Amino acid sequence: MKQNTLGYKIKQYLMFAGPGTVLFLAVVIVPFLYGLYLTLTSWDGVSAQKPFVGFANFAAAFADSDYWAAMGRTVIYSVFAVILINVVAFALAYLVTLGIKGQNFFRAGFFVPNLIGGIVLGYVWKFVFNRAFVAIFGGTSLLSTTNGAMFCLIFASVWQYAGYMMLIYVAGFMSVSAEVKEAALIDGCTPSQAMWNVTIPLMRSSFVQCIFLSITRCFVVYDVNLSLTKGEPFGSSVMAAMHVYNQAFTYKNYGLGQAEALILFIVCAIVGVTQVMVGKKGEVEA
Amino acid sequence: MKKRILAIVLALVMVLALAACGSSGSGSSGSGNAGSGVNLTIFNSKMEIQSQMEEMAKAYSAAKGVNVEVYYSSDTVAAHMSTKYASKDPYVLSMVDAKDIYSLGPEHAIDLSSEQWVGNTTQAISVGGKVLGFPVCVEARGILYNGDAIKAATGKDFDPSTIKTTADFQALIDEIVAGGMALPVGLQKEDWSLGAHFLQEVYELHEDPDAFIAGIKDGSVKLIDDPVFNALMDTFDVLKAYNYAKDAPISAERERTEMMLAEGDLCFKFGGNWDWSNMVGTNYTEHLGMMPVPCDLAGYNERLVGGGSKYFFIDNTVSAEQQQAAKDFLNWLVFDAEGQEFLVNTCALVPAFSNITLPVSDPLGSSVKAFADKGALTPNYNYAPDDHYAKNGASFQKYLAGQIDRAGFADEITAYWATAEVGAH
Repeated sequence: MKQNTLGYKIKQYLMFAGPGTVLFLAVVIVPFLYGLYLTLTSWDGVSAQKPFVGFANFAAAFADSDYWAAMGRTVIYSVFAVILINVVAFALAYLVTLGIKGQNFFRAGFFVPNLIGGIVLGYVWKFVFNRAFVAIFGGTSLLSTTNGAMFCLIFASVWQYAGYMMLIYVAGFMSVSAEVKEAALIDGCTPSQAMWNVTIPLMRSSFVQCIFLSITRCFVVYDVNLSLTKGEPFGSSVMAAMHVYNQAFTYKNYGLGQAEALILFIVCAIVGVTQVMVGKKGEVEA
Repeated sequence: MKKRILAIVLALVMVLALAACGSSGSGSSGSGNAGSGVNLTIFNSKMEIQSQMEEMAKAYSAAKGVNVEVYYSSDTVAAHMSTKYASKDPYVLSMVDAKDIYSLGPEHAIDLSSEQWVGNTTQAISVGGKVLGFPVCVEARGILYNGDAIKAATGKDFDPSTIKTTADFQALIDEIVAGGMALPVGLQKEDWSLGAHFLQEVYELHEDPDAFIAGIKDGSVKLIDDPVFNALMDTFDVLKAYNYAKDAPISAERERTEMMLAEGDLCFKFGGNWDWSNMVGTNYTEHLGMMPVPCDLAGYNERLVGGGSKYFFIDNTVSAEQQQAAKDFLNWLVFDAEGQEFLVNTCALVPAFSNITLPVSDPLGSSVKAFADKGALTPNYNYAPDDHYAKNGASFQKYLAGQIDRAGFADEITAYWATAEVGAH
C-alpha cells in the first residue's frame, strides 16, 4: 500500500487525530466563535431575538467603570497571589527535597488543599475568618473590611495553589543532577551560592510553568471569590470574572458580559504569553 | 498547506455531522417518552421546598398518570432560565420571580386569563392584558419580633400594634436595654436584604413609585429631602444603633441572626416570612411574629410590604397536552384538598388564593396571612432593573458599615438612577 497518497494520509489523520480534532472544535473553537458573534449582539440571555449591534458592546465595556475597577483589583490580587504562591511553593519544595524523614507524607499533606474544590475551600475559610479567628483573637472579622477581604482572598488562594506548584518545583529540584551541585560546592561555592547560581537557573523551566499556571488561574478566579467573599463588602472584592458573570447573567446583558469576558481573555493571554516568552528566552541546560 | 486545509475542512464536516446528530437525537427523545403519559417538567426555584416537591411529584404522577419531574438550580433564576432557553429545552412549568414574568412572559408564556383560579387571587401577574403568572405564595417584609424575648426584658406582654412610630420603637428598645439586653436587633448585610427589601420600601411607600423614580431621574425629586426616605432611614438608624453585630455589621451571618432571634437572643430583625425556613430547625420560642417597619408615615406603619412571590408560568412551545397537564396541576394546587394541603402544610407557604382557608402553620406566615386577609399589604415594586439590588445594596452596606453618611448614600442612589431604566410593565 502506498503511503504518500492523499487517501492514506487522510485515513491516518482521521484515525489518530480525528476524535481529538472533533472534540477540540466542538468544545473550544465553535463555542469561541459563537461567543465572538454574541459580543456583537445585545442579547439578554433568554430572548429568541439576538439584535445585531456591531461594536456597541465593546464601547460599553470600555466605558464600564465597575468592570475596570474589578480588573484593577484582579491585577493587584494576581500580583500578590502569584508572588506568594511561588515563594511558598518553592520554599516547601526545597524543604521536602532535603531528605528529611517522612517527606513523602509532607508532600502529600501540602498537596491536599488543592484537592478541595474552590467553593468548599471558600466556605471553610469563611468560617475560619468570620468565627474562629474572631473567637481566638477577638476584634472584627477580616472579611468585613475592604483590604481584609482582599487579604483573605490572597491567603486562601496561596493556601490552595502552593501545594500544587510545589509538586512542579519538586520535579524541578529532582531534575538538577547532584553532580552539578557537588561540582559547584567543590569549586568553592557556598550552599546558597550554589542554589542561586546553579540550581535555580537550571530549574528555570519549572518557574516558567508555575508562574504561567498561577497567573492564568488568578486572572480568572471565580469559585473562591464567590464562596469566600461574594464580592462583599460593598462590592469591593468583585473580581473580573465575577463581574463578567453578573453582567451576563444577573444583569441580563449577555452580549456586554461576553465582550468583557473576551477582553479579560485577551489581557490574560497577553500577560501569560509574554511571561512565557521572556521566561523561555533565558532557559539554560546543564 | 493543502493537507492542513483539507484536514480542517474534514474536521468541520464531522463537527457539523455531530451537531446534526445532536439535534435530531433530542427531538426524538421528547416524543419517545410520550408513550408513558405526558411529561410535566417543573422548575422549582424555592430551595426550601425542593424535597417536598420531589415527594409530591411521585405521588401526583402515580395518581394522575403524568410524569412529573421537578428540577432545582442554585443558580439565579434568570441565569438558569437563559441556559434552558439557549439550549431550546424549556420546562413546561417554571417557577420564577415576579420580575422574570415581565421579562420572560411576553415571549415565552401562555395566556392563562381563562383559568378559573384567576378570580380567586389578587396577586396574578398580567402583562399586556394577559394573565401570565400564577402566584405560588404570598411573602411580605417587615420587622420580625420575638415576643418572649421582649417580655423577658420588659416584664410585659408585647403587643406589636402599639409600636407605630420611630419614637415608639426607640422607647421600646430603651425599655429592653434597661431590662438587660443591650443589643436586641439583628440586621442582614446581604445586598438583597438591604437593596431589594429595605431600600425598595422607599419606592413602595410612595403613592406612585414610577413617578417617584422618574422624579429622581430628572432631578425634580431630591432624595435626601424626601420624607419617605428620611422616615425609613430614621428607623434604620435605630436598628443600626442596636445591631448586635454593629462592630462588624458586614460579617453578620444570616443563619446565625435568624437563630438568635428564634431562640430569644434578639428581639427584632428586619426580614420576611421566608426567614422561617432557617428558624424552623432551631430551638425557637413560642411568640414569634411580624410587624410593619415602624416609621413616621401614618398609614404605612400599619401595613407589611409584600404580595405574590414566586410565579409559575407555562411555556408556549411545548405540546398542547403538556400545557394542559400544567394547567391541571395549577388547578390541583388551588382547588383540590390535597393540593391545598401540600401548599399550606407540607411546604408551609402562605397561599395567594382566597378560597384556601387552611390555617397557616408557621408564626411568621400567619402574621403575613393576617395582614393579607385584612388587605394591609403594600404591593411590591417589581420593576427595578436587575442590577438595582446589587449596586444599591453595596451602597447600603457602606452606610451600614458607617463608611458614608445619609447624604452620601442618597447621592449614590441618585447617581445609579441617572443611567438605569425601570423594566417594562
